[in-house]
Parts: sequence; C-alpha cells; structure tokens
Amino acid sequence: MDKNRRNLLKGGVAAGGLGVFGAGYVGPVKKATEGLLSGSAGEPTTDRITGNALTPEFHIDADTGELTPADGQVVSLTQCLGCWTQCGIRARVDTVNNRVLRIAGNPYHPLSHENPRPYADSVRDAYTGLGGDAGIDGRSAACARGAAMLELLDNPQRITQPMKRVGPRGSGEWQTISFEQLIEEVTEGGDLFGEGAVDGLRAIHDTETLMDPENPEYGPVANRLLVTDAGPDGRRDLVKRFTFNAFGTRNFGHHGSYCGLGYRVGSGAFFDDMKGFTHAKPDWDHARFVIFMGTAPAHAGNPYKQQGRQLASARTDRRFEYVVVAPSLPNSSSLATRSNNNWVPIRPAGDSAMAMAMIRWIIDNERYDHAYLSQPGPAARDAAGEPSWSNATHLVVSTEEHALTGRILRGRDLGWTDNADDSVVVDAEAGEWMAHTAPQPAALFVTREVTLADGSRVTVKSAMQRLTEEARRLSLSEYSAECDVPVATIEALARKFTSHGKKSVINTHGGVMNGSAFYTSYAIVMLNAMVGNLNAPGGTFVKGQPFTNTGAGERYDMANFPGKIGPQGIFLSRSRTTYEASSEYQRKVAAGRNPYPAKAPWYPVSPPLFTEHLCSALEGYPYQAKVWINHMGNPIYGQAGLRKAIDERLKDPSRIGLIIGIEPFINETNAYADYLVPDLVTYEGWGFSKAWAGVKQRMTSARWPIVEPRVGKTADGEPLSMEAFLIAVSKRLELPGFGDKAIPDADGNLHPLNSAADWYLRGAANVAWDGGPVAEAAEDDMRLTGVERIAGTLQSHLKPEEWRRAAYVFCRGGRFGKAPAKDAGPVTHWDRPATLWNEMVGSQRHSLSGEYFTGCPTFHPPRFADGSRVERHYPVDQWPLRLTSYKSHLQSPHSIAASRLRQIHPYNPVGINTRDAQAAGIDTGDRVRVVTPGGSVEGVAMLRDGVKRGAVAIEHGFGHRELGARTHTIDGTALPGDESIGAGVNLNDLGLVDPTHSSGNAWLDWVTGASVRQALPARIERVA
Amino acid sequence: MDVSRRQFLGKAAAVTAGVAVMPLSEAEAGLNDQPPRRGGDPNKRYGMAIDLRRCIGCQACTVSCSIENQPPVGQFRTIVHQYEVTDNASEETAAVMLPRLCNQCDNPPCVPVCPVQATWQRKDGIVVVDSDQCVGCGYCVQACPYDARFINHETQVADKCNFCVHRLEAGLLPACVESCVGGARIIGDLNDPDSHINRVLSENYDDVKVLKPELNTRPHVFYIGMTDAFIERIQGESGLWFDSEHGGVMGAVS
Repeated sequence: MDKNRRNLLKGGVAAGGLGVFGAGYVGPVKKATEGLLSGSAGEPTTDRITGNALTPEFHIDADTGELTPADGQVVSLTQCLGCWTQCGIRARVDTVNNRVLRIAGNPYHPLSHENPRPYADSVRDAYTGLGGDAGIDGRSAACARGAAMLELLDNPQRITQPMKRVGPRGSGEWQTISFEQLIEEVTEGGDLFGEGAVDGLRAIHDTETLMDPENPEYGPVANRLLVTDAGPDGRRDLVKRFTFNAFGTRNFGHHGSYCGLGYRVGSGAFFDDMKGFTHAKPDWDHARFVIFMGTAPAHAGNPYKQQGRQLASARTDRRFEYVVVAPSLPNSSSLATRSNNNWVPIRPAGDSAMAMAMIRWIIDNERYDHAYLSQPGPAARDAAGEPSWSNATHLVVSTEEHALTGRILRGRDLGWTDNADDSVVVDAEAGEWMAHTAPQPAALFVTREVTLADGSRVTVKSAMQRLTEEARRLSLSEYSAECDVPVATIEALARKFTSHGKKSVINTHGGVMNGSAFYTSYAIVMLNAMVGNLNAPGGTFVKGQPFTNTGAGERYDMANFPGKIGPQGIFLSRSRTTYEASSEYQRKVAAGRNPYPAKAPWYPVSPPLFTEHLCSALEGYPYQAKVWINHMGNPIYGQAGLRKAIDERLKDPSRIGLIIGIEPFINETNAYADYLVPDLVTYEGWGFSKAWAGVKQRMTSARWPIVEPRVGKTADGEPLSMEAFLIAVSKRLELPGFGDKAIPDADGNLHPLNSAADWYLRGAANVAWDGGPVAEAAEDDMRLTGVERIAGTLQSHLKPEEWRRAAYVFCRGGRFGKAPAKDAGPVTHWDRPATLWNEMVGSQRHSLSGEYFTGCPTFHPPRFADGSRVERHYPVDQWPLRLTSYKSHLQSPHSIAASRLRQIHPYNPVGINTRDAQAAGIDTGDRVRVVTPGGSVEGVAMLRDGVKRGAVAIEHGFGHRELGARTHTIDGTALPGDESIGAGVNLNDLGLVDPTHSSGNAWLDWVTGASVRQALPARIERVA
Repeated sequence: MDVSRRQFLGKAAAVTAGVAVMPLSEAEAGLNDQPPRRGGDPNKRYGMAIDLRRCIGCQACTVSCSIENQPPVGQFRTIVHQYEVTDNASEETAAVMLPRLCNQCDNPPCVPVCPVQATWQRKDGIVVVDSDQCVGCGYCVQACPYDARFINHETQVADKCNFCVHRLEAGLLPACVESCVGGARIIGDLNDPDSHINRVLSENYDDVKVLKPELNTRPHVFYIGMTDAFIERIQGESGLWFDSEHGGVMGAVS
C-alpha cells in the first residue's frame, strides 16, 4: 500500500464514507479494504486524473490562440473508406510508433462540414479553428464507423503475404507464397493445385482471336478474364486501365448492381442519362418539404454523414418539413422536432404503387406544374424562366409493332430537312407541329394519328399523355391495397407535396431494390417533374464535377497511352446490348422459331452487372470466364441469394479455373479464391475519390499513405497491394500502358508506371492543375499534416514546379471548389430534360417475354424474370410476411472487424411489428427462425412499433461468415475466427433463387438486373 | 437482454414520463455535504448543452470517446440511447435519441460517498476521479442516479466522463463534442456570458431540461428538445438495441 492511500484512509473515511459503509454493503467494504491494503488489483493508468486518455494533438493557447502540435503527433487529412460515402477525415498519427490514434473530420471537406474551411486557408488556421469556443462551429466530424475504422490497420485478421489455397476451393486452408511465385503462377498457369491444368492469364491474353466464331459478338478470347472491384474507392482508374486497355477484356464489374442499381437506372431514365445514371439530391439549404421514400437521411444513404448534418440543421434552424415513407422507422425520424416530421409505414415494395398513386392524384387534380411541363426545350425553358425543361410534350410513337414503337417522334420521321434531329411537339397556341427547340410552350396532352415520311400511319401521344394513361391503370384504392397506405394518407401527401412550388422534393435510393426496382425508382423520381424542381433553389440538384486526377489531365494524360486497346464484344452479363442483335436471336428467327424467350435474361438498358457476371461465367451463357480477379468485391455477402445460387458451381474449378482475390482481409467472396493478394487499407495507400451526389461545389478527395503499410513488400520494395499486383502482371505479360514508358505528359514525353507512386502522384499533379493551379504547400502545412514524410517521394516523381502543388492537395486531403453562397441556390445545372418518356427504355423488349418495356413510370408488383408475380410461386398463405432490408448507420459491409464499433451494437435483432409478434406469441429476446423460399436464419426477435405490420426488418452489415468470423489455416497454423464478428443475421442469406431464370441465378430486377433484397416472401417461427 | 438493461429501460420510462422535465430556471437547490472543490480554473464553470433536435443517434460521440479515453471495449463513458415511442392517440411512432454522460452535477451525489476522497469536483465544475486513489469500492457507482459511472474492468477503479478535461485544458474540444455529426453537443463555460453554450441556452431558455431535477443534483448537462407534451402519452418504449455482452448501459457495475 502506497503512502497516499494510507493517508487517505484516515481522511477519506472521516470525510463521509463511514456512514455509507455502515449501511452494510459487505462486498464493497471488502473490496475497499483490500484495495486500501494492497492497492487496486487493476492495471495502473497513465495519468491519475485523465486515465488512459490519448495525449492531445495540439495545445491552443487560450490567450494568444497559438497552436503548438504535440511532440510525436501529426494530424493528416486523408480519405475514409468506412463506407462508400468516402468522407474526408483527419487522422491523428503517432509518428513514433507509426499508428493512427484517432479519427475525426477534415475541416476543408464538403462531406464533413456544412460550411467547410476555405481551401486557401493555411492548415494551421484550419486546425486552430477546431479548438475552443470557435471549434463548436468549426468542428468537422467523422461518423462512428469512420472513427472506428482505424482498428483495421493492425487487425490480426489482415492478410499481409500472398497466399495460395492448399485445400479444396473454399476450404480455408492456405499456404503463404512469395510475390514472385504468385505472379508466375497466375500468369503462366499449369497444374497449380494438383487438380489438373489451369489456364493462366497468358493463355487467355489474346485480343485477336474470336472465342466463338458462331457468336462473333462474344468478342476475343481475352474476354474470358473477368475483373471486378467493390466500388470506386479512388483506385479504380488503374484497375480499368489494366482490364480494358492493357489486357483488353470487356468484362469489368462492381458492387453497384447489388447496391442501388435499380435506383440509379430509374434515375438515369429520368435524367436522360443511360450511361452515367445521374442521380440527384434535395437542395437542403432551401427545400421546404421533402419526402424520403426508400432512403433515410441521417440513418444511411449517400452521403451519409453530410445528409445527417443537413437534416439536423434543416429541421432545427429553419422552416422545413419532411416525411419518411419506409417499412421500418429510420433514425431520420425525430420526436424532438415532432411537429415537422412524420413516418409513413408502407408495405415492403409498396413504393411503386404509392408513387404511381401520387402521380395519378396530382394529374387528376391538375396539381402539376403546367407552365414547367409545357416547355419543350432549352429555348422555351429560358423564355419562360424555368430552371430546366422536360420532354412531357414530346410525342411517343404509340402504335405497337411499328418499327418506331416507343421512340420519340423526330423531325426526320416527318420528312423535315430542317430540325431533322429535333423532337416533334405540338405548338400550344397554334396546334401545329413544332420543333422542341422552339422558344415557346407546347401542348401537354396530345393524341394524334400521323402519316410518317415513309407512308406508314401511327398514333403518337405526348409523354405526359402516356404517363397519365399508365397512372390511371389502377384506381387510388387499388394502389392503396398494393402498398397498404390509406388513400387519405396518399392524397394528403400528394397535396402537401404540391403545396410548396419548386421547393418540394422527393428522394429515394437503395430502398427500391425490390422485384420491380426500376419502375419503382422511375416513378418516385418522376414526382419531381410534377413540381418542376430540377435545378431550382430548394429543389433537386445534380452534383458538381470532380477534379481530373488519374484520367486525361492537364499535366499527364493518364487515360491514353501508346498501344492502348479498346475492348470488344458483349459483357458476360448480357447488358447494354440487345438480345435482338445476338447471333442466337438471328439463328432462331432464321429457323422460323419464336426468338423469345432468350436462354436467360438480357438487360439492354443496364451497365455491366456483377449480379449476372458470375452466374453467366459459370454457366457459359453467353460464354465462360476462365480467370476472375476480384478486388474487394463481395457479392457473396452483399447480393441476396447469390451464395445459395452459385456456391457449388463456384467451388468447382472446372468452371472458372482461376480465382484471384485482392483484399486486406478475406471476405465472403474471396474465401473462394485460389490466390489471395494482400492489399492496403485506406491509411496506407494512395487514391482519389469523389462525392456520389449532394455536393454542389467541385471536389476530389485525396488519399495518401499517412502511416507505413503493414503488408509485405515486393523485391522492389513496393508494398503488396492491388497496384503492385497489376503492375507486376502487366509487365510480365508485356502489356501496353505499364513499365518504363507508359504515361504521356503534356509535351508527349513518356513517364514510367512501375509503382503506385508513379501513378497517383501524377494524378495529384493533374488535380493540382485542373481549373487553374493551386498554391504551393508551405513547410508548415507539410509539417502539421505529416506530408513532410512523403515530400521526398513527391520530389523524386514529379517535376520541380509540380511537387509542392501536389503536396498542397495532400496537405488538405484533396481539392475542393468554392462553396456556393447559401442563398444562391444550386450552382450546378443539368441541361438534359426531365424525361417523362425514355425512348431508350420504351423501345426495348424484355428478352424472355418479348413484351415492350414501358418508357415511363408504371406500376408493377415484384415479379420474377419471366414476368410472373411472386405470389404465383410462393403463395401468401404459406409466406405471409415480407422482409425489408435496411442499411445500418453503424456497420457497412466491410467494417465489422472494428471492436469499438461492434461494442455499441453487437448484433442485429430481427425487427417484428409488436402486434404481429404478440399474435404469434413472440417476445423481445426470443430466438426466432426467419424462413424464405431461399433459406433460413436464426436470430433474436425485437418487437418494434417502428416496423410495418406484415414486415420483418433486418439491418444490413451483420451475419458475416468471413472477415475474421471463420477460422482459416495458414501454413498449417490456425488463424482463429472471432465469433463476435459473425454475430447476427444476414438478410442476403435469405435471398431467393429466381425459379424462372434458366441459369439459376439469384432473383434480380427484371428490367435492370439489380439484386432483389426488398419484400422477400417469408415466414417466421419461434425457436423452442 | 440483461438485467442492467432492463433496469435502465425502467428508468428511462420514468424519465420520459415527466420526471426529467424541469426548466433550468427552476432547478435551484442547495449544496449539501459536498467537500470543498479543488483544482481547476475557479473562474470557469463547464457545462454541456445537448440539442436533441440535432441528434441523429449516429454514435460518433460514443466511438470517439471510447477511442480517446480508452475504456475497455464494452464500457462507455457516454452513449446514445435510442427509443421508439408511439403516441397513443394517433398511433404514430417516432424515434427518440438520448445521449447520456456524466452530468457534472453541482451537487454530485457520487462525491461525498467516496471513502477515500478519490473523486471530487473541481472549481470549474468537472467531477474527476483519481485512479491512483480510488479503491474501486463502487459506492460512487451506486450513488450516481444517472448510471454515469462504472468500475473499469481493466483498471479496477471508478471511471466516468470528465468532459475530456485533458482536451479542454489544451484548448481543444472533448472527443464527443468535436465528433458530433448533427452538431447537437455544445460544451463551454457557463460563467462566460458570451460563450456559445450560453447563447444556445438563452435562445432556447424555455425548452431547456435536465434529467431528474427533483433529486437536486443540479446537473450541468442541459437538454434542448425533450418534448414533454408528446412524451406524456407514450405507450411504452423499447430500446432499439441490446447491450454488449460485456456489460451494461454506461458500463456495468462489476
């Protein structure tokens, strides 16, 4: 017992302890006595008052305001990868021990601060502004996940050396191998596993020879390589350069199709952007009323953190009301501002009916913005002072089986020589034909017979007319029955929505991922056209552009290089191409057979689909893949039903012969890999990312190695990573665009691509120059942020006039344009029309049924690939419930390894409506089994008023089988799994295999091929 | 659901049934049995305002505090409790977020019960624990009506929020405040009439509440937006989550 304690024994007891002790708590007395005699049994703290708290990163003098950094710490601004929002973060780095201590937000970053610090401010000023009373307004936060992700850096479950499987595929048995052996084996192939010959990359590196002369559209042999990644984490340009332009395969895929693709394609249809699938966000600074249907700001959605802050400010500081329409109550809701927000519970997948009902009510009651919808083009828009224009007045060829069916009538169709490419509209006043480019309004409702230049006679209808007819297919009460929202609620919401002019917005996202995702999304987004809010202050806006980085920049052209290959042939996923153009179709027609159905669905309006790539590659329709390189992608965890659909086929090496996984951890998908390549976590590597949406100003986030990587190194001293792997493979195969002469500068001189720094630092120079060069970094900027540590690398890779400007970008965690004044309204401008009828959709047929897609929003219940309703296969009396999946505000699909995040919410209970559960005799805490036609899981029930009757709500991000949950054996030694990582349930394990999809794939949206995870038919039972 | 959690939910129900709500101006009480304050700046009185209208339940504060102060995994100096409440009349359901932490009371019940004077209130109002002195008896843990204290499993001594006093003294914000995504948490000097916190409290004067004012603990964590009108008709709320297996709500009593 030390002296202090002994002294205090007297004083302490005298000071008031005695009376309490006298109350007779035997345990505490015993413990206290033991503690007094022998000292506490616990581990001593580093400071007696502040315990084990971290040493503050700065000291800011209260009087002078002078900032003094702590010895041995820097504060680095870089990019988060806790989720796909990819915010800018500030990381406190212990430079002595090479550790990240704690993470908060980057004060310059528009995704981390409502009013970000001016870009030109010095780092010292920006950091000083984080302290004291001023720091309240200056604070820039990371979310819980972003703060916790630093644990991944030194996580015991990380892979640090290349590995090769030694057991059967998926067995979890590995041996470590050298990087050189890895590169040799995957390029040259051979009898790699004692299971027979395996084709390596060299064997399929042939961009000349057709793989199948019977089906020339399949393209060259090189297409037998499939490359996938998770998302645009800031490094994708290099992956695409390798995939498309160096190796020359057509096949690339990413997580979009099991993330929010149904939304994106529906939104793309609305924005007339079937390539980039633009999506938009509410203008939070000015909107008066916003409906969130299938998205939940402050709970999830993208950008998660920024929208959380924007919602908090809007509902607290100004006149703002909002409604959340969802099967389960999200954190968007707030009792504290009860008067301005409301939750409308809806049946899972009911959104399509609800949105169509609102469209119908708005049209029937003439509550739409007539002046807006009547402007047929940019000239009329400007003349009328509208913020955007629409194609509501454009005319749709509406005669079935005519060659132009579903197309917008063009001047050339009527034989016009002037304005031949313009759309034809009807002059609102004169009633005559008019080009849509005329500066005056056009008739909104049109149905006419017209003789075309080729002599054929067709019916044309305005897009608004077509939308009206589709909306009136069902009555309000029929829609109400489909979504289980009362007619009165639908009407009230539609009235409210049309009561604030252009300051009403409706927004959606991944909540639409049901069995008719495309039409659900298109209908919801279309409501914005009814109030004409596109580009309007308080309306819907499209984000600002990123700064060019590893693309075709001013300093370096990183998109082009000598010998660049353009990939040929159709995607494995049968997307962005029509079935009718295929040899298969032509052969059937030539043989006099009905060409429908195709062997399996085609997706003419969709981008490449990770959701179909694998099943196609395994089944060989359209063709087989032989090698699959997967960088962090995880559809086996993330795509509903995929595990069940392809598990056996994926484990069979005779189908895809070689699978290479690249990742810092072993995820559920890479667990099937033959080779594992270590990769960097965000704090260790380079990259440039952008905002998905919701940021008005231009912005690009920069990521740089703020600590030394934990992974092994190549013989050249490069950290093992995706970059090191692709560069080594490319050089061994002598692919163009890699090696000593790979990157042209503005003068045409070629610079090397032998390392990650060769690539990203030149990208940084491009960022620094786009839109005018940034200033040079000050020594103080570099010292405070730790960029000083990489200054030598910058100098050795960049030109003398470049390196300090690149350093300026890294010092600030990226480049950010000037934020618009809050009273300015959206500064971005979408120039294409709000598209009431999308002819690219409306002129395509479904490849199984042969029916035309409808080119405007229309109601469809969830259905399978062949068009059949789910209930026909899985009757309601057997499957009475509908599952709804919602994003976690804590866990992303790849954050589970962080223990300080798991501690708050260790698993996800199964949310059941209180009355439903009571009727079934289920109580909170009971173990329950959730069963669907696709599988069953066991979880813990939680009774919630915040779940729609008839729904079961499951939060995403739990129920992992990998990422550390499972024990793997490496070089004969077990790397033990941590069962807390595997806690909870994964809704995707309950996903359905589509009984009408001949390749046996998981259930996908019949239009877009997006994964179906909403409204899965289910039942639930108590586990005894 | 473990026992400590059930107890907390019971208490929370009481809180929301109206016990909590008393305007700041009425929260007057005498100091009783408090030992003299020591240490800290006598000219300052730190307090925290939490604007519940801005809280989105993101738990960034919880994680940031956990990393800053390094309690054992599963024990918390602060956390945000989340409830779903249903209005009996309308049957409408809404979310309630309630950040919890030490209230740095002016009349802290945890201080006088310490047998070894290991915990005391500084002159700036922050209640601190001396981990070298503390014997881990747990009296203070029992005495706190807000479940704000716990015995740290690793150090075996009492642990609690101290407003990140090490950061305040460095001119920086506490971890929970600087990481607050919604901008709900505001810390500052209540003795400074121009401080941010005083501005916010005066702007919302009639809507400032403290937890359990009837205990005369004089909490210095002030809540804005704890709407009692709706709360009185609460049908019964459930914690949206279960606790960590490691312990209870604010860190279990071991």
